[in-house]
Amino acid sequence: MSRRLIALLVMATSRLASADDPSVPGPEAAASTTSAPGATAASTSAAPADADVADVAADPGDQSVGASMGVATGGRVTPGGVRITGHYLYQLSSQDWFDGTASFTFGGGDAACFRDRMDVVVCQHGIADGGAIELAAGVRRLFAPKGAFRPFARAAIGISYVRFGDDDVSGLAIPLHLGAGVRARVSPVVALVGMGELMIGVGKFGRGLGTEPQLGLAVTAGAEFQLK
Amino acid sequence: MMVVALAGCGAGSDVSRTLGAICETSADCDGRCLPPSTDYPAGFCTVVCNASSECPDAATCVDDEGGACLFDCVDDASCAFLGTGWRCKERDVRGVAGGKAMVCHGD
Repeated sequence: MSRRLIALLVMATSRLASADDPSVPGPEAAASTTSAPGATAASTSAAPADADVADVAADPGDQSVGASMGVATGGRVTPGGVRITGHYLYQLSSQDWFDGTASFTFGGGDAACFRDRMDVVVCQHGIADGGAIELAAGVRRLFAPKGAFRPFARAAIGISYVRFGDDDVSGLAIPLHLGAGVRARVSPVVALVGMGELMIGVGKFGRGLGTEPQLGLAVTAGAEFQLK
Repeated sequence: MMVVALAGCGAGSDVSRTLGAICETSADCDGRCLPPSTDYPAGFCTVVCNASSECPDAATCVDDEGGACLFDCVDDASCAFLGTGWRCKERDVRGVAGGKAMVCHGD
């Protein structure tokens, strides 16, 4: 098991090195070449499904867009509910893609803020309360395929406008996203994606709340469409 | 040490929009606000009730204000978490003829 992990790490390092220096072909130069814009679909339909072809075919290509839907859990002043996210992916290297997102969280919930006996405002919202609009930018790193799936990890930082309407509480938050997921190609240009992520950050809220921590989890699934 | 810490956060942590929060109007509460007065210093979110079974834990339904849930107490110190001006007083229990209970109430 540890040998396999070491081998994967060595492979990932050599891929990064080859991506940084185009004059030095890496051990998977053929795969890197075929991942160029426009080449993925052609190679998929023409070549046998060996590991390298599957690797290339399952990546998002030069650019992709996607949409996903799922649930986010929050609590206190972290919004939760149904989450809809739009993705824009842009290839940075053989393994890494810029992953920009715009997401919307729609939760419910009644008023849950009050002033405790020290006259400090406390909010005790449930896990599916509130709403948020967020823009985030990050990097998605794809790993070697596991059968029909291609696992990936994602890290991103965002800025979000959070609102709990029934309490008339709103604020700006800066969340850090750390997640992982899998991608499975269903056609030359379409892939299904499932992802789970942890969100941690801070927010500045009105109505006397001040700075509050943000902590949540989200699970989403959707589709991505290769543009180039 | 741990027992002391747990005891310290007992009643105080039970304050909520339902019972015990500071308020000025009922919009500040889930139920009714007993606005700031000498009877309810800084205001007090409560539940309108006709029997103690309608009150949250650690509260009793008393005849005041036409039926309101107030925190149980044993002495003035046990009402200290509500702030200054609160004392432990004997009140009539609503729905129980001749019934009395010790609850937190303003001076």
